Amino acid sequence: MSTAEVLAPLEPAGARPPSRRRGPLSPLARYLLVRLALLVPMIWVLVTMVFVLMRVIGDPIQAALGGRLTAEQIAERKADAGLDRPILTQYWEYVSGLFRGDFGTTLTDNRKVSDILVVNGAATLELAFWSLVVAFAVGVPLGRLAARYRDRVPDVLLRLFSILVYAAPVFFVGLLLKLAFTPFGWPSSGRASIATELTLQDVHPRTNIMIVDAILWGDPALIGDVLKHAMLPAIALGLLTGGVFLRLVRVNLLQTLRMDYVTAARARGISERRVMNKHAFRNALVPVVTVMGMQVALLLGGAILTETTFEWKGLGYQLSEYLIRRDFLAVQGIVTVIALIVGAMSFLIDVIVAFVDPRVRF
Amino acid sequence: MSRFVPGVVRQSHGLQRFMLLLGFGLVFLFVFVAIFAPWLAPYDFNADRANGVVFGTQQGPSADHWFGTTVGGTDVLSRVIYGARTAVEVIVLAVVLSGVVGVPLGLVSGYLGGWLDRVLVLVMDALYAFPSLLLAIVVSIVLSGGNSSAIGGILAAAISITVVFVPQHYRVIRNATLSVKAEPYVDAAKVVGVRTPRILRKHVFSNVSSSLPVIGTLNASEAILTLAGLGFLGFGIEPSAAAEWGYDLNKALPDASSGIWWTGVFPGLAIVLIVLGATLVGESLNDILNPLLRTRGADTTEADQAEIEQEFAALDGATDDRSLGRPPAADRERSEGTDAGTDAGEKRVAALSLTDLAVSFRTDAGQVRAVKGISFDVAPGEVVAVVGESGSGKSVSSRAVLGLLPSTAEVTGSARLGDRDLLGLSNRSLQPIRGDRVSMVFQEPATALNPVYTVGWQIIEGLQAHRKISKKAARARAVELLEMVGMPDPEERVGYYPHQLSGGQKQRVVIAMAIACDPDVIIADEPTTALDVTVQASILELLLSLRERLGTAIVLITHNMGVVADMADRVVVMYRGTIVEQAPSRELFASPRHPYTRALLDAVPHLGRSDGPGLVDETTDVVLTVDDLVVEFAGRFGQPPFRAVDHVSFEIRKGEVLGLVGESGSGKSTVGRTTVGLQQPTSGTIHVSGQQVSGLSDRQLRSMRSRFGFVFQDPASSLNPRMSIGQCIAEPLHVQTELTSSQIDAKVAELLESVELGGSYAERFPHELSGGQRQRVSLARALSLDPDLLIADEPTSALDVSVQARVLELFRELQQRLQFACLFISHDLAVVDTLANRVAVMQHGELVEIGARDQVLSHPREAYTQRLIAAVPVPDPIEQARRRAERAPIG
Repeated sequence: MSTAEVLAPLEPAGARPPSRRRGPLSPLARYLLVRLALLVPMIWVLVTMVFVLMRVIGDPIQAALGGRLTAEQIAERKADAGLDRPILTQYWEYVSGLFRGDFGTTLTDNRKVSDILVVNGAATLELAFWSLVVAFAVGVPLGRLAARYRDRVPDVLLRLFSILVYAAPVFFVGLLLKLAFTPFGWPSSGRASIATELTLQDVHPRTNIMIVDAILWGDPALIGDVLKHAMLPAIALGLLTGGVFLRLVRVNLLQTLRMDYVTAARARGISERRVMNKHAFRNALVPVVTVMGMQVALLLGGAILTETTFEWKGLGYQLSEYLIRRDFLAVQGIVTVIALIVGAMSFLIDVIVAFVDPRVRF
Repeated sequence: MSRFVPGVVRQSHGLQRFMLLLGFGLVFLFVFVAIFAPWLAPYDFNADRANGVVFGTQQGPSADHWFGTTVGGTDVLSRVIYGARTAVEVIVLAVVLSGVVGVPLGLVSGYLGGWLDRVLVLVMDALYAFPSLLLAIVVSIVLSGGNSSAIGGILAAAISITVVFVPQHYRVIRNATLSVKAEPYVDAAKVVGVRTPRILRKHVFSNVSSSLPVIGTLNASEAILTLAGLGFLGFGIEPSAAAEWGYDLNKALPDASSGIWWTGVFPGLAIVLIVLGATLVGESLNDILNPLLRTRGADTTEADQAEIEQEFAALDGATDDRSLGRPPAADRERSEGTDAGTDAGEKRVAALSLTDLAVSFRTDAGQVRAVKGISFDVAPGEVVAVVGESGSGKSVSSRAVLGLLPSTAEVTGSARLGDRDLLGLSNRSLQPIRGDRVSMVFQEPATALNPVYTVGWQIIEGLQAHRKISKKAARARAVELLEMVGMPDPEERVGYYPHQLSGGQKQRVVIAMAIACDPDVIIADEPTTALDVTVQASILELLLSLRERLGTAIVLITHNMGVVADMADRVVVMYRGTIVEQAPSRELFASPRHPYTRALLDAVPHLGRSDGPGLVDETTDVVLTVDDLVVEFAGRFGQPPFRAVDHVSFEIRKGEVLGLVGESGSGKSTVGRTTVGLQQPTSGTIHVSGQQVSGLSDRQLRSMRSRFGFVFQDPASSLNPRMSIGQCIAEPLHVQTELTSSQIDAKVAELLESVELGGSYAERFPHELSGGQRQRVSLARALSLDPDLLIADEPTSALDVSVQARVLELFRELQQRLQFACLFISHDLAVVDTLANRVAVMQHGELVEIGARDQVLSHPREAYTQRLIAAVPVPDPIEQARRRAERAPIG
């Protein structure tokens, strides 16, 4: 992601000619429809790629259960799973299943992938949320600070900080955090203490998002416990993303600060603070938001490592469990879900861009 | 690489250089460790005993084991050292592989476009959007399936990582290719029939490749992180085959909770340091090489300045007292003397008065003096024009007044506004003055307005910065201001975003902002340069009427002598940071004193001359026939196609120059591009020397390419920056002729001679030449194959007037001698007037009028042509005043 983020400003943001003609749809609606239409082939390519790769790996049943069962038993299991049929038929069933919301069933423990999504997906969502909170809190103000003091001491220190944060793998940061915090008895694995988890089993309706469940339960001690558990993983993952945000904000601010309209605003006697906030920052947001959208993939990739480090039972943790068990039907299901999440996020980003940049709307 | 490094280091400075060197140091350290691992490591990476003595598990650092031992009882230091070897091997393989796959894909896809491009973009975007680590895991499972050999494992890891990075290389290279592809030098190569592989190699790749070191190093750091991630999750290289830091960290994770730090910290630090090294190198390279992040340099090159200076020296040589640093005493006296006269004997109170203003910039090359002590003033209600060619310091001095120069600028002297000296004021104390008492109008209205706010918002912001005024009242005032500057429908347009307005309307908004607080002085920096001539006329009209109504003093910075004659009461002529002459406008035009002013005025082409070229003989051969040409561009999604050229027909005979004029968007350039096959016509035919060229494939067209030459507008981009001048001119000869290389060299020398550049220029590179010299080279290249037809698309519009005059002179002389037919495309009627036999006028894609030069330009039949001609300001104040007086009753 670093390459993309450093070189991204080369692509002018929203530099498309305004559409002059107005059709039956408003330009905003047309823009969003086009974006949505563009998502379909992207998701299709991903889904197909995953399907093909999983078939290339070999026979999932053989891989998962080979050695444990006899040849006949394996053949029987294959027939049950429909894996003995032509590959195109399987592909068709798989894709049409997706349209019905059926992501398949795991081989090794016979869970519905959609259940995994509900339980573990919620955990990943929670982790992603907390780490985004950290990333924004770190990245945006520090990025502005660095841009403001370009090439002076604060800038150099902040850039070094962002590179260091980027250079440190999230599991190493996790390890250091564990080393630093466990001596004080700070919880460094899992989403909550066992007692808390057991209590929260009884919350109705249950969201599987621990903090929401804890709030619904209404016990401050439980909320505190959940927050304590979330802190270290959120810092580990949030710092990584925050470093990227920092550099993004800095580079894009520096570029907008050099624009003519910034000079023009200064020439009108607009105060420096206002020039920075209203003119430079808002405009810098367009490319920043766009590239942040691409960071979703990074965040999910990082989540796999973070979840493994902190035994945070999210999608990534589950995925690597299934990978180790060579349960490729589960992997295929989870990966497809991730592809959909990535697609949905990139659409969401397009919507946000449309609201920040009027050139897209009109 | 080794040749590359010192250059980069030399370009860097200060902290940047420190970061770069630190990065290189770290990278070299790890490469060194990787190469000499077996000699440096005390034990083998998998050894758990030496000489039969078992190390013991999880032993803390000691003399025998500096970094302690792992949970598996192996030596941590040895594992870290061997891990460096694994990491470096995988990175090098991965970066090379992803470059080898991604770069050609990006090049071909970006250059050729079409369905291949679309499919590749789709696949690569999908790959890119996907969590890269996940992809690497899946691929590594596919590849290895439990592969245990070291080489196989490393290769598998490298390929897994490659799959992740190919999309990145592809995207960056494709984007770079797309931008290079649009460069005129690529078009220039296509025009002479250079084949696609050669274009990709010589023109595209050589220019795109500069981004490779940056992508390479940045990818290297990601490759290490991905490798470590793979190892950490247990999908990396088989642990028995190679030492790997990520794997070690995974094994160390349980230790962390029990306070055993050495098993995890050392491999982790190794990862951090090597990634830090690679990232520092990549980022610093990007900082140094990325033109967008570089501090903006001067608009003119050394060579441009040298050229102007030479010219000046030639003019100035005769008279000693007119030396540069010291403006001639005679001029000063004269300007002061005449000042008194202009204001009908009234004692002048200057609205703004500059005294000994000097500006210098700190650059890497040392102190550059941009303005060397200038003094002039402007009275209320007066228009003072500051004229000069590029690099004369006219814009810099005006920005210095408002403190808008970058922090590298050093300003001395004084700029008095009333009784206050503006120079030396802090930003904070200048703030109330900017926009309130002194305001600015910028050259490019498209960029002077913030695209994400409505124009009303921006006007209101300025009002509220200076006046205590309610939002509602400010809005009413904004509407009033828009009305004042002649914006149609101001009530509605106040809520428009800038991109919804035309260029002229945007400039009206900028002017509305400038007059919002009734300033004493408006500084207008080339306010009409970016606009079409008819729009220019109305904006100038507006500025004059505002001066009349508000009594504002206007400092008008321009290079256009016609605008000066139209607008100015007094003129200040600047040259290389000094004022060479200042005088009332009529006096300056009637009897310029300084030779530089004289030369400048002589160089300005006049519209409506009587001694221009006449018609060529009717009996000479027709070279170019354009018959009923229509060119359409596909519309955006769900929109009808845009018709750029609409049923245009004309012909050009041997030895004839047809001037094709029109405003921006009239389709004149499209006609030129279609003629040489850079654009396919939608319908209609084009014949060159009797042979049809329209509708031919590139291959069929190639043999006919030698019949035409093309000169592009922008001298900065029409020559490939990576090729020497000689190579640029020789390229058509290589492609189209069978000449030996010595014959080509001779021909190149001859061509350079014919455009009045010596043979020594063949060795130089485009950036070493001035704009005028580069256009001469373009001309030489276009003429290298003795074409029947030359298309010149705005060949002089990017040049200063004096340089333009000499290029046009050369052009005319060559055309007379070689008798090629020429389609001369220009927006400048006066330029066309100096050399066209016939003139064609285009508007909205249609040919409005075509005929003999003096008929079209002096006695136009069509209303549009008449309007166009009336809008061109002539460099003669008396004539302009007469025209204004004539127009006044109507407007």
